[in-house]
Amino acid sequence: MSKQLIISISREYGSGGHEIAKRLSESLGISFYDRNMLDEIANEMNVDVANFHKYDEKRKKPIISRTVRGHSNSPEEIIADIQFDYLKKKADSGESFVIVGRCSEYVLREYSGMIPIFIIGDEAEKINRVKAVRNVSESEAISIMKRHDKTRKAYHNYHCPNKWGDSRGYEISINSSKLGIDHTVDLLVDFINIRMGNVDKT
Amino acid sequence: MTAASIVAIIIFVAMFILIITEKIEKQITTLCCGALTLIFVFGVCLRDLGAIWDTINLSAIVNPEFWHSTGAEAESGGIDWSTILFLAGMMIMVEGMARVGFFRWLCMLIAKLVHYKTIPIFIAFMCMSFVLAMFIDSITVILFLASITIELARLLKFPPVPMILAEIFCANLGGSATMCGDPPNIIIGTQLGYTFTDFITHTGLIAIISFAFILVYFYLVMHKELSVNSVSPEDFSNLPSPSSAITDKTGFIINTIIFIAAVVLLVTHATTHLTVAFIGVAVAAVTLITSGKHIPEILKKVDYKTLLFFTGLFVVVAGLEKTGVLEIIAKFIQNISGGNIYLMVAIIIWISAIASAFIDNIPFAATMVPVIKALSATTGVHIDVLAWSLAMGTDVGGSATPIGASANVVGTSAAAKAGHPIGWGKYCKKMAPATIIVLVISTIFICAFYL
Repeated sequence: MSKQLIISISREYGSGGHEIAKRLSESLGISFYDRNMLDEIANEMNVDVANFHKYDEKRKKPIISRTVRGHSNSPEEIIADIQFDYLKKKADSGESFVIVGRCSEYVLREYSGMIPIFIIGDEAEKINRVKAVRNVSESEAISIMKRHDKTRKAYHNYHCPNKWGDSRGYEISINSSKLGIDHTVDLLVDFINIRMGNVDKT
Repeated sequence: MTAASIVAIIIFVAMFILIITEKIEKQITTLCCGALTLIFVFGVCLRDLGAIWDTINLSAIVNPEFWHSTGAEAESGGIDWSTILFLAGMMIMVEGMARVGFFRWLCMLIAKLVHYKTIPIFIAFMCMSFVLAMFIDSITVILFLASITIELARLLKFPPVPMILAEIFCANLGGSATMCGDPPNIIIGTQLGYTFTDFITHTGLIAIISFAFILVYFYLVMHKELSVNSVSPEDFSNLPSPSSAITDKTGFIINTIIFIAAVVLLVTHATTHLTVAFIGVAVAAVTLITSGKHIPEILKKVDYKTLLFFTGLFVVVAGLEKTGVLEIIAKFIQNISGGNIYLMVAIIIWISAIASAFIDNIPFAATMVPVIKALSATTGVHIDVLAWSLAMGTDVGGSATPIGASANVVGTSAAAKAGHPIGWGKYCKKMAPATIIVLVISTIFICAFYL
């Protein structure tokens, strides 16, 4: 693909957004970044990645964090900023990639090849997926989903002016439960191809 | 309680909540709350235009006593322009020193002098942090020390976090030793008419004794973590030389002389009667005059936000003072201590320390100065005892948590940016015991030698 393409996938927990993102990267033949980005960052900084995981995709804790002369001591905020810088560096290099979460639809908004997508799912489908993937009971699955979505929403809304999941912040919002993972991926690939001018819009 | 007191308390509490939540920049918070105090507390409730003029306190600047003191206690209340001018002056001087590479040069020189050995660097940097923070704001000290520590840690393969934590603690402790080391001390000093010598011979002595214990404490709890490196000869060859840090040789010499002159002026100001406001303005003027084309660069880096923060803060605290709220707090402390002086000292040290561990110690100290004055007047306890208790409590208490003092925030921030995030647990495990050690030493010292 000659033009730079950046697919930003935001997702509800259990919607299969992560799998869709991975499959999109395979279909389009471009890199895939999610939490694995921290491994590369830690490697470049020559530090233990375990230092970062605890603070990944979490918002700054109010009251117990402070900012002095522009220096925040919130590990959550600093890890987020490190990831944002890393994403911008990747985007500046001209690389095409799929990125899951990390406020990427806002951080990379100035790149013309960036396509922000939000994946949602039916409650029942999401619960079944979480039960299967995490091997937990229904009540545990519901609790995990609520906790993760609450954390993601807080993280996103802290860093971005547009609200998490608000369709106005994305080019396409799609319910993966309606078409299933495979067809959702197919539909998104078609959308991306038309959007990038690889297929005639008429 | 009068309507004016209630409004003053509401504004003060709202200001504190807004500062803690950081929803609005802190200088905007204090300036707006200061304006509300002037309008509603003094204007609407008290209908006292004279109180507004007294609080703005501009007349103080034209008073010769403001620049050259005859030793009389300064009138407190309202905006403390001495503190603000002194801070501004020191900020300009420090920016001038930073521009020419003074701090980086000093750090690299010390590391070289101890042959780049980890434990000696650890001890030397703690000493340097303590000594520099006696004269320079702890934020600047930690910004430079933490950055060099991270650089050396990469090259010499040792974990930087223990060293940064020790440097932060020593900067806060060093700040408690002098009148200009920590903003609460500047406020206490200017408002109660103390000199540099007063501080160094009282809080300075406590700080130096405590520092000896702290060196041993940090060595015992951290030396194992720091002794795990294996450095090859190539690693040493990558180390930058101290002279490479100097960006402007002439400027370096000039700014070093200005710094030495500032230290001499501060140490001797009880003899020369030159006030800290005069010293601040003088060093700033000389720094700017000798900086030539670099003046805009230096002025741009001055932390105006902190100066504005102080301005608004003093107005809000004046609202509490002039409406009698602080006297009520003083009476409350007097009642709960039951007139027991030892208990009173312990309350001031430990409550100040606990409060400073969680909230900004600058507004706390600004609020407590009128409280201890009232307490001294009503109980007969000498103001010095209460002043040193307040200084040690507020300066040292801030070390206990990552948000207690500005140095903690910039130090932990620098560590996290280099890939070493420091959470509350990791921080408090090492720093809270050190804080308790110094507070116990301070309490024993003040009770044993002043009561």
